[in-house]
Amino acid sequence: MNWRRLRTLLRREVLATFRDVFTVSILITVPIGALLIFGFVLATDVKGLHLGVIDANNTSTSRRLVAELGAKGTFLPQTYDTRGDLDRAMVAGDISAAIIIPPDFDRDLLTLGSGHERPQVQVIYDGGEAMLAGNAEGFLRTLIASTTADVLAGDGMRAPGGGIAVVTRALFNPKLDGKPFMVAGTFGFVLSFLTVLITAVSIVTEKITGTFEQLQVTPATSLEILLGKILPLGGMFVFDVVLMVLAAGFVLHVWPQGSIVFFVIVSSFYVLVSLGLGLIISATSATAAEAVQKSVLFSIPLVQLSGFAFPIHSMPRVVQWIAEIFPATHYIRVCRAIYMRGEGPITQLPELALLLLFGILLVGYALRTIEARR
Amino acid sequence: MNRSRRSFWSNVGAVAYKEASVVRHDKALLATVFAQPVMMLLLMGFALSNKPANVHWAVLDESATALSRRLVREIEGTGYFVAPQPVWSHEEGEQLLKRGAALAFVVIPKDFRRDIERGRPQVQVLVDGSDPLQAARVGGYIGQVAAAFDLQRAAGPEALAPRAEASARSAGLVDVRQRFWFNPTLLDRTFFLAALAGMLLTNLCMSATSGGLVAERESGTYEQMLALPTTPLELVLGKLVPYVVISYAVFLFAVTAPGVVFGLWPHGSWLALMLVTLPFVLASLAIGVFVSTLAHTSAQSVFITVFFIMPSFVLSGVMFPYQLMPHGVRELGGFFPLRWYQIALRRIIERGAGVAEVAVPLLVLFTLFGVILVAIRWRMKPRLG
Repeated sequence: MNWRRLRTLLRREVLATFRDVFTVSILITVPIGALLIFGFVLATDVKGLHLGVIDANNTSTSRRLVAELGAKGTFLPQTYDTRGDLDRAMVAGDISAAIIIPPDFDRDLLTLGSGHERPQVQVIYDGGEAMLAGNAEGFLRTLIASTTADVLAGDGMRAPGGGIAVVTRALFNPKLDGKPFMVAGTFGFVLSFLTVLITAVSIVTEKITGTFEQLQVTPATSLEILLGKILPLGGMFVFDVVLMVLAAGFVLHVWPQGSIVFFVIVSSFYVLVSLGLGLIISATSATAAEAVQKSVLFSIPLVQLSGFAFPIHSMPRVVQWIAEIFPATHYIRVCRAIYMRGEGPITQLPELALLLLFGILLVGYALRTIEARR
Repeated sequence: MNRSRRSFWSNVGAVAYKEASVVRHDKALLATVFAQPVMMLLLMGFALSNKPANVHWAVLDESATALSRRLVREIEGTGYFVAPQPVWSHEEGEQLLKRGAALAFVVIPKDFRRDIERGRPQVQVLVDGSDPLQAARVGGYIGQVAAAFDLQRAAGPEALAPRAEASARSAGLVDVRQRFWFNPTLLDRTFFLAALAGMLLTNLCMSATSGGLVAERESGTYEQMLALPTTPLELVLGKLVPYVVISYAVFLFAVTAPGVVFGLWPHGSWLALMLVTLPFVLASLAIGVFVSTLAHTSAQSVFITVFFIMPSFVLSGVMFPYQLMPHGVRELGGFFPLRWYQIALRRIIERGAGVAEVAVPLLVLFTLFGVILVAIRWRMKPRLG
């Protein structure tokens, strides 16, 4: 290892990168764009869902129920006259849920507890939008229960027995805001995907234009070439991390609960992993397009199995094991621990050790592939 | 006139033939055509779900009565949870939440029994709000079990007998009879797989065409093509034809494979499916061509493509319901062809719609295609260098 040679290589890489306006603009716009897009897509509060209504009861009680369902902005009730109209609206996707109030609804409600039937309403959801229906279900049931209880209370009746009250409190995120969860995950997404892609493409391009061969015939050793390549890239990716922390903080008002310094350190560990992967992909690809195809194919399971968008605990056992093999899974877990629960280094030690191990293995393997081709 | 029309189609045919022989040798593209569909089918069919399952949770049972134990058993009996981890203090439970080892922490107070006798029993549930979607659902399940908990029966001698119907009974005063249409068990699989064709075709079409023109410019064949007696329109159409054919093959896989493997056959009209696929494929291919007119090197064109595909997956609603996105973001997604295609796919495959019900998405897709063609025409003035 010769420091002077390494410095020259570093200078060369930095100059080459900054000359490439396109890559620099990608490095700045993609992380910020990803943050903004992902920050907004995960929402738990159901708002403005179209709710089809057939009110066969049509009394002040049933009208009040419908009005309450519409009052909070969660549902936009739309009245239909016949069941056929309602069904067609459902098929056409005009409504996401429907409530059908039977003719004797108010009578059953007001004679509750005197041996009569319990009042009944029928609710239909568009199960095609599984996630939407799952969310709407909870809201609709709660609204129906609270409104009918209010109606009874207004008539001076007490709701008859049964049930345990539950006081639910969400720790770490009391308002159940989707932004912090997605922001923390986006770091994993950008650092796995963008960095692998850029590393792979930048080296493959050099191989194609022949400048990589030229480097290899210089007195520089493989290690020096490798470091000269990945240190500037790594530096830029760490800069991206800082940029994203600031963008998330100022634009989306999401700051890490834990230490920012610790977060940046963990992220630089992970950058090492991505660099290693990028190097390996570049070593095994002949053209830029091939390198990109490989990165994309690799990133599909990465996005979907790493817990970024879908909870790992809901996956079948075997898939859970596979998910544990991805370094991204561990990085995203640590990101969320720091961002949402304010964790420090001590509790996250096992995950950190694992990340470092992944990084060393991958970079070591990449070094060998480059060595072998000399 | 007749003669020029004949030469138009023969020119298109010639370019199509040339493009098809290029495709046959493109290993990367063939991998996209063959490997990706299978991978996505397996992932979406078996692995992905937003429904909580195997949820780890902790219980602090300060009352330690038969009643409290039965409540815990009934919560576990919903099937969403694994066996609870008993803890002996608040701190211990919150520590588990903090470490991420538990998603929910149920606290049953010391006076639980006395509270029941007085008629207002209460338990406390702490959930990890990090993942709001999961937190809301897990909290909801526990709330429903508790609300349906039968206290009269609970006090009796047979209190220890497990009762299956308790969790199935609906809570509150009103009997809410609910049904989930088109997907009775609310499987996320149905939701994802209905849009499988949309995801595969976006990937395929965009990556197929986006590199094309740039690669030709790099290898010098672009100049050769400009020298040919073909107009830009003939060139573009000829380049699209082979990909339309491949796209339909992939589309057929994406619609029949979920049927064969998971029994998810389309409920609606096949004609509507085939019809709505055409403008979507054309629009996606055209976007790819447009990208390749923007890029200077093939590396740039793939970057632009990849970072166009990404937001189109996220914002179009194939993964997350677009109805829940805030305004602004929701409308932005309308510019992606995938948004309209997935709306049409879900209507036809899940809800059994016909051509009439997908008229609007169909029209929008054709409009998008037209707009992109105009944009390409504007960018692709014949020029050298």
